[in-house]
Amino acid sequence: MTDDQDIHPESGFCVSDNSLNELSDCILSDESDEFFLEIKKDLNQIERLVSDAVNNLVINFKFISQLTKSHHEMVMAIETLAVPNQNEPILELLRRQMLIADKIEHELEGAITSLQFGDLVTQLLAHTSNQLDMFVRVLQRIDSHGKNSPAEEKSVMDVTQKISEAMRTAQSRTKRKTVVQQAMHNGEIELF
Amino acid sequence: MAKTILAVDDSVSIRQMVAFTLKSAGYEVIEAVDGQDALDKARQRTFNLVLTDINMPRMDGLKLLESLRKISQYQAVPILMLTTESTDEMKAKGRSAGATGWLVKPFNPGSLVEVIKKVIK
Repeated sequence: MTDDQDIHPESGFCVSDNSLNELSDCILSDESDEFFLEIKKDLNQIERLVSDAVNNLVINFKFISQLTKSHHEMVMAIETLAVPNQNEPILELLRRQMLIADKIEHELEGAITSLQFGDLVTQLLAHTSNQLDMFVRVLQRIDSHGKNSPAEEKSVMDVTQKISEAMRTAQSRTKRKTVVQQAMHNGEIELF
Repeated sequence: MAKTILAVDDSVSIRQMVAFTLKSAGYEVIEAVDGQDALDKARQRTFNLVLTDINMPRMDGLKLLESLRKISQYQAVPILMLTTESTDEMKAKGRSAGATGWLVKPFNPGSLVEVIKKVIK
């Protein structure tokens, strides 16, 4: 792994700047380097945030599950103590407690399915990242193939100029990035 | 004695969810982070069932499946694929490589346990 790569340990999702550096000989290089690098960084940031959130949710899930198990055992123990005395009000309360415990268990089962969204998102991000790499390579190919004659070169220049303009427009409209968080830590609080 | 399952996935969260589900159902679960890790662990002991993802670094799930079926102890062991892949083409590849079943993510814990109970020996 090189220094300019960032591989997430869980997914192997990799953001490499190498494919972007290869653009340096392109007509588009100034705009595209920055543009594609920014998109890759964003994808990487999304992946980190999602993985971080899922890992935290899994920890929460395990803790709640453990508490539910303890609660279940406690209800059973109280029931054992209450049965010999046939204390109906207590037994009724315990039955209700068991119903609640069953419902929590059912909800936790649902959470197991929902918590798998992180894996799906990570795979989709890796796919998008690969598509972006492919797009960069296509641009490189267009650039290198169009230098056989002055006419071809002019034609390619026209196309690349339009692409550069489109990139500049896109960048100017999306200048302000509203999410800078890299992990799911608590947000800062500032009092004025 | 509890039946032992080898759970293979490069996603930590998926491994944890699988392990939680199967341990709650009374199975012993050993985790592997990719196909190569799984193959190394499978050579050390024979598991009662293998549950594996497909898209993983180093060695993918289909290659793991093919490699396991070449080991005599694993010719009759159920191997289930748990993956996001759901195309007929991929399923056909899995079937011809010797997969026992195909589960598409996200899995439902009840259904997973039910399928495993059906195929495990």
